[in-house]
Amino acid sequence: MTDRRRNLFILLLVAGLLIGSATAVVVKKTRLGLDLQGGVELVYQAKPTKQAPTVTADALTRAIDIMRERVDQLGVSEPEITRLGNNQIQVALPAVKNADEAQRQVGTTAQLFFYDWEPNVLGPGCKPAPTDPNVTGGPNVNAAAGSLSHYDAVIRATKCPEKNLPNSSSGDQFYLVNDDAKSVLDGPGERRTDLRPAKRGERVVRVPQGQIVVRAEAPDKGPKIDQWYVLRDDPALKGTDIKNPEQNFDNGPGGTGQPIVTFSFTSKGRKVWQDVTRAIAQRGQANQLPGTPVLAAAQHFAIVLDNELVSVPYIDFKQNPDGIDASNGSQIEGGFTIKSAQRLANLLKTGALPVKLDLISQSQVSATLGKQALHQGLIAGIVGFVVVALFLLTFYRLLGLIAVGALVVYAVYFYALIKLIPITLTLPGIAGLILTIGIAADANIVIFERVKEEVRAGRSVAAAIATGYRKGLAAIIDANVVTFMVAFILFIIAVGGVQGFAFVLGIGTMTSLFTAVLATSAILGTLSRSKYAIAHKRAVGAGERRSIWGSFDFMGASKWFFSLSGCILLIGALAIGGKGLNFGIDFESGTRITTTLQRPADENAVRDAAQAAGATNPEVQKVTGKGRPPNTFQISTPTLQPKQVSDVTQQLGSRFGIRGQPNTQSVGPSFGETVARNAIVAIIASLLVISVYIALRFEWKYAVPVLIALMHDLLITAGVYSLTGREVTAATVAALLTILGYSLYDTIIVFDRIRENVPRMPRAAFSQIVNRSMNEVLTRSLATSFCTALPILSLLLFGGDTLKDFAFALLVGTISGAYSSVFIASPVLTHWKEREAVYEKRAERIRGQLGYVPAYATAIGGAPVDVGPKEEKRGRGRLTAPQEPGEISATEFQELVRDIQEPEPAATPSRRGDGDRGRDLDPDEVVMPKGEKREKQRRPRNRRHGRSR
Amino acid sequence: MAMFAWVMMGLAIWHFTIFLPDRFWGGIVGAFLGALIGAMIFGVLVNGGTIPGQDDTHLATAIEAIPGAVLGIAAMYLLGVRRERPAATA
Repeated sequence: MTDRRRNLFILLLVAGLLIGSATAVVVKKTRLGLDLQGGVELVYQAKPTKQAPTVTADALTRAIDIMRERVDQLGVSEPEITRLGNNQIQVALPAVKNADEAQRQVGTTAQLFFYDWEPNVLGPGCKPAPTDPNVTGGPNVNAAAGSLSHYDAVIRATKCPEKNLPNSSSGDQFYLVNDDAKSVLDGPGERRTDLRPAKRGERVVRVPQGQIVVRAEAPDKGPKIDQWYVLRDDPALKGTDIKNPEQNFDNGPGGTGQPIVTFSFTSKGRKVWQDVTRAIAQRGQANQLPGTPVLAAAQHFAIVLDNELVSVPYIDFKQNPDGIDASNGSQIEGGFTIKSAQRLANLLKTGALPVKLDLISQSQVSATLGKQALHQGLIAGIVGFVVVALFLLTFYRLLGLIAVGALVVYAVYFYALIKLIPITLTLPGIAGLILTIGIAADANIVIFERVKEEVRAGRSVAAAIATGYRKGLAAIIDANVVTFMVAFILFIIAVGGVQGFAFVLGIGTMTSLFTAVLATSAILGTLSRSKYAIAHKRAVGAGERRSIWGSFDFMGASKWFFSLSGCILLIGALAIGGKGLNFGIDFESGTRITTTLQRPADENAVRDAAQAAGATNPEVQKVTGKGRPPNTFQISTPTLQPKQVSDVTQQLGSRFGIRGQPNTQSVGPSFGETVARNAIVAIIASLLVISVYIALRFEWKYAVPVLIALMHDLLITAGVYSLTGREVTAATVAALLTILGYSLYDTIIVFDRIRENVPRMPRAAFSQIVNRSMNEVLTRSLATSFCTALPILSLLLFGGDTLKDFAFALLVGTISGAYSSVFIASPVLTHWKEREAVYEKRAERIRGQLGYVPAYATAIGGAPVDVGPKEEKRGRGRLTAPQEPGEISATEFQELVRDIQEPEPAATPSRRGDGDRGRDLDPDEVVMPKGEKREKQRRPRNRRHGRSR
Repeated sequence: MAMFAWVMMGLAIWHFTIFLPDRFWGGIVGAFLGALIGAMIFGVLVNGGTIPGQDDTHLATAIEAIPGAVLGIAAMYLLGVRRERPAATA
């Protein structure tokens, strides 16, 4: 395929995709995450039960199916229920306003059991006492009689012997208790490890299999009560024995008209039901004393849902002496509201979850704040785009205009991909999107700087464009692949919004490669051969050659930069020791409620209200800032359950009034541990992958300085967080991991040039090679960092709170990354490589000739001594390889002449007495030394040495 | 958290090895490893084999890493000098 045809093909492809993308942007709807549209997010951790002793992938899938059915019954549009890792489930419910209600509907295990009441209630000594109302609760089975405090009930149950009953609903159960306070702090858990660690004065107790502790039935429509019974765990029927549960009204003869739940039985259930109710009726009949009403002797049947009594109806033995015929089904009464009856019916309809689900994190975002966050994100994105475009236009003129065009194409493609895949757009996702604008522009900067170099070296603009693209491609691919790999690792390992960020970053990085490299090369390739050919070098922003850095000795100055870094890290280490890091609730666990009050209040008044609602040790902070309405407070407490969160907001509402919907977030300890563990795994995995990639693409000695530089960036960022006291959240970790990928961008650019210059400078000391490389690419490196910093700065200035968190870490990391690439990674590489025999000899030889090693490679007369090896011809016709210009620049020609005229300096003996190493190695051997083959003199001219740019 | 502070302090101290002659075993990277490992081992030893958590980490905890880092760097230097000597003799 000729170049003209190839360019035309690419341009047609770009145009076709652009039309398709624009159509998708118009037609398809954007799926917004909860943080942008408001709603409730619940994260559950699956725990094994007696029925499912291990949490399998199959059990999780079944649980997700059941939860999806339950969510459908809530009438939520576009819910997302996804599996996280191997034992967690995330439920995102857009537009839902009540987290407590959602949690009860979606995450309830719904294990339903029917018990014959009186013979199974255990009294003192674990003995049943069917006729003792002080044990069974008497005719009405109310909480006033027979029931115990939770602590007393648990302790009574722990003293019961283990019984292996065939129908038992659970195995051993564990509780965390405080004997001094006589309180139950956690449980039940199937294993000790399910409970939080015991503190001083607390202990874990075991309730042996064969008995369970159940909460007493709440009085009509009232809140749950802290009264409990101990039951022998021998249920007569299970939830699987009933079918067709429905919410109805008690409108039958003598009915109360109250909401009830009706159901019918399976054939097996029908028989068991008849048998059991017959036995209960006969027992009641036998107990009745002459002249007493039926109720006084009536026996009961208990319906237990997830260890709570839902209803304890009695069997009228006069009406049903032979038990209740179940052919017409049955009903559950129990002071239901319509809503609670509907909920129970739905739970029974969808069936019990195959595993127990513990709520480990829940958050609720108000729709108003979601819209505000979206608005802020869009503003930040637009501003970021505009400043990057202005930067490109100012510095690269016509090339910049083409790059801006490519950025527009990129933005349209990317937005279309978000809609087509579809990607749920979250705030962290917007951060990723804005960051990729900078990355897309960086690819162009790398190429354009190369083009400018070629123009300044004497090539024509057309040839410079072709050469610039060809030479810059490897570095761009290396840098983008590393960023993509880090994004991939983040996506696999991270949880929640961070995953969205990683996904957007990964997709964006790959898309930007297409638009920033392929599309712009096709446009420029076409332009350079048309009648509108770019002829003047000023059109590409390449004026006269001006070396900004002159003959600055980067390596010589590196000791001062090292000292500066050392001082910064020293301060950072002292800050970490003295102040520590301010970990957010993502890591520390807890509940955070952010709400705006209608009536003025101070922090003490809000604290009192929170405490009155049951929150322990609440920390209240008045939140001020741009875009924040007055009277906004943030309440932080130890982890609260959704019901408790609801109590706190209700209490605040009744005292001060609440404007809009509060934002709430609760994170349990296990979720915090997961986030922390995933962060560490992600960092280690990223470092490993980066090391392997650098070692493969360069050589292993290049990987070590990269790791040291990355460590430097991460620790400096952590030090800055410690010094400023900013909160470290899951978003911060994502930003840090992105820094890992992005910081490499600059390092790869510098190392790529070093790798290129090594064979070009076969007589220079390594420090001279690095100095020259730095001199050549530092402007480019600064330009890419500046270009990436622009959209990040826009995020910092215009983004909401979450985006600002991201932006701060990214900004510190980007600055630190640019700095460490130049002033840490390169000097470390220099120091390490200079210990190699070949470079040691070179340095000794130069020192012998000149008395010192100059910063830059010069002959005795002061002229440069480096020369470029002959470039290998590349195959034509590749999409990514524009036409080779086939010409040598004026500078290269002069360098060649100078090299030919330059007399070969005499080699000096080695300090270590290794005389045969006194000579310079071939460039080929410099790149890949092979000591045992040294005696074979190879001609370097016909080989490609290292990587030619 | 203490481990974090120790590593950071070790890395900080390592930066100043650039002023010393490069006679470390393994060069500047050897010095780097010496500083980090020395800081961590010394920190653990001083704290009786434990790594203090977030609440137990103080300013002194970070300072505890300094002798370890210096000892680690010194060890790498001595090792480098010792290995260099036979090579020079030969």
